[in-house]
Amino acid sequence: MPLLDVGYRTWTGERTYASTRWLVVASTGIRLIWRGTWLKRLMVVLLIPSAVALFFFGVFEQSAEDPNYSNIIRSVFAAREARATAARAGVNINEILLNPTESRHFVWSYLLFFLFRYPQAFSMILVIGLIAPRLISFDLRSRGYLLYLSRPLTPAEYVLGKACVIFFLLAMIAAVPALLIYIAGLFLSPNPWVLFSTWDIPLRVLIATCILAIPTTAIALAFSSLTQESRYAGFAWFTLWVVGSVSYQSLATADQLSRREPLRWGEYSHWMLFSPYETLGYLQQEVFGLTAKVGMQWAPWCWILLVSVIGYSLAYWRVARMLRV
Amino acid sequence: MLLACCDIRRFLAPGQLKPIPRHPLQTSRGGQYRIGTKKFFGDKISSVLAKYNRIVPRAPQTHSLPTDLFILNRSEPVLEVHDVVKRYGKRDVLKGLSLAIPPGVTGLLGPNGSGKSTLIKSILGLLRINSGHGRVLSYNWPSQCKAIREQIGYLPEDDCYLHGLQGIESIQMMARLSGLPRTEALRRAHEVADFCDIDQERYRNVETYSTGMRQKLKFAQALVHDPPLIILDEPTTGLDPSQRESFLDRIRMLAVEKGKSLIVSTHILHDVQRVCDHVVILVGGEVRMTESLERLQQPIEPGLHLRVEENLVGFENSLRKRGIAFERKSDRELRVLGVGADQVRCLWQASEESAAPIQHLDAARNSLEDIFLTAIRSR
Repeated sequence: MPLLDVGYRTWTGERTYASTRWLVVASTGIRLIWRGTWLKRLMVVLLIPSAVALFFFGVFEQSAEDPNYSNIIRSVFAAREARATAARAGVNINEILLNPTESRHFVWSYLLFFLFRYPQAFSMILVIGLIAPRLISFDLRSRGYLLYLSRPLTPAEYVLGKACVIFFLLAMIAAVPALLIYIAGLFLSPNPWVLFSTWDIPLRVLIATCILAIPTTAIALAFSSLTQESRYAGFAWFTLWVVGSVSYQSLATADQLSRREPLRWGEYSHWMLFSPYETLGYLQQEVFGLTAKVGMQWAPWCWILLVSVIGYSLAYWRVARMLRV
Repeated sequence: MLLACCDIRRFLAPGQLKPIPRHPLQTSRGGQYRIGTKKFFGDKISSVLAKYNRIVPRAPQTHSLPTDLFILNRSEPVLEVHDVVKRYGKRDVLKGLSLAIPPGVTGLLGPNGSGKSTLIKSILGLLRINSGHGRVLSYNWPSQCKAIREQIGYLPEDDCYLHGLQGIESIQMMARLSGLPRTEALRRAHEVADFCDIDQERYRNVETYSTGMRQKLKFAQALVHDPPLIILDEPTTGLDPSQRESFLDRIRMLAVEKGKSLIVSTHILHDVQRVCDHVVILVGGEVRMTESLERLQQPIEPGLHLRVEENLVGFENSLRKRGIAFERKSDRELRVLGVGADQVRCLWQASEESAAPIQHLDAARNSLEDIFLTAIRSR
């Protein structure tokens, strides 16, 4: 039975701007994935590392007033990686404990970088691996792309709309928790002038998120567009990260053994380019100012540029090609 | 001719056109009206257009114009393309095709591989043509394809749907992609779903729909933004006979009552005969025939078409005796040449003499099937 059968009527309203139609693709995609209860639960679980990072922010800020908290901070920086990072950034660990306010920028940057590098990067791989493969492949299988593209929407806008679904998820995983931690850190700090010494950290968070989001989205969309079976795209996605990391570890270890010198953690090595995880990690380290200040490495930047261009072009080409009769 | 005498209320929301009370001394015949702050005499389109100093918009800069203004000029073709060439590799699918489609319902016919779908997708700008130019709804084609797509409703031949969305969400989304604001898109989606006979199934996910339901859904998606030109590619595929009739009624109603132009690409000649005013036959990427259906069906030589209940052989012998020329169409049907009063009298006499009751008698017309077969066989 019809809801309110008034027959066919003409429509004479004002239309929205044509240049914003890709937002409809994005918002519908986000609404669709957000319907999954499992995703909401997973996102809540993935926020736990952020809560831990927030705890360390609070402890560090309190250590300026109460030296008893220093032990906790000492345990954080006892790790080999933390000491190596501090050494590269020209910070003395003992100085951090003695005079926390002077090293605030480094500590905050390091904690946020650590959040990005480990828990959030793994979360990203997991969530994108579960969500992204279906974004374009489902449309290819159900020929939904014909419905999209018969509207005032170009294949490029369609790909942009789909990419925004992944950007949204990555923002929820990486940028939003990091920015909330930063804001909470401002409130937890006993020093009201902390904003002036750390104003650049939110910008670094946003750039680090972009570094994470742009190439990974390109890879995910390219895989999704290459097949009508989302499980193949998902398999390719996880394989890429695992095989990349294993390749890097094997090649770097072999290189280290042949040169008879230890490979120091976080230092640039050309073998990194085999692993998206290591390359993105290195670039985020650079964005947070935690790499050695001896000169910028261009190869990882070229790598993400190349991967992004190839990934988005492939997705665009596949969608545009499907329109052939 | 410009439909300047159309009632402007057709294009406005209810109550948007407000009459201004007459002054007791006013002597003019027509009443005075206003839309917003603009005042004008008469409730006809001509008066409104004169006020706004606009005749028929060629390429509108604003999105607020009623889309129906595009069809005011009923003599201009809604679609006109020239020398269209489309190649796939070395194979020419459209070979310098030129075509003009008038307002109304046009049937696009042709055997498989004749280039119908390629033509439709090229018109929508989904395929890039190798050469050719034209105008679609007063927009330059193919340079303004994006603007053209905003004014066209398209029902694809393929079984396509948006996975995971409910029927109503799917229609709403298509409306939003065509520029309707979110709430308005939902309202309009329900309105069109009602029109297309999509009942409570609208709340089910589209992947659970039957073929017929998907066809209705695609039709609703094509109509939701109220386009002046609607392209339907095999629209009645998968519909049962009663749904098919309702579907064809809707197509006819949109053309006759709402002034829409429709292009119906189909293999089902009955559908074309039922709803179309005009027929285009494509063969091998070329237009083999383009003519109004009425004219195509007129036989070169006038005649009568009759069907008898039984004893056709006896009936034929009686006709021969009377010197009436005829040709047999089937085991019960004849086509009698000439339509004079003598012929008709002779028919009834022959029927009585041969005991072959006449079941049906009317003016003979060329069947669309014959026209189609002739067109595809001719060189």
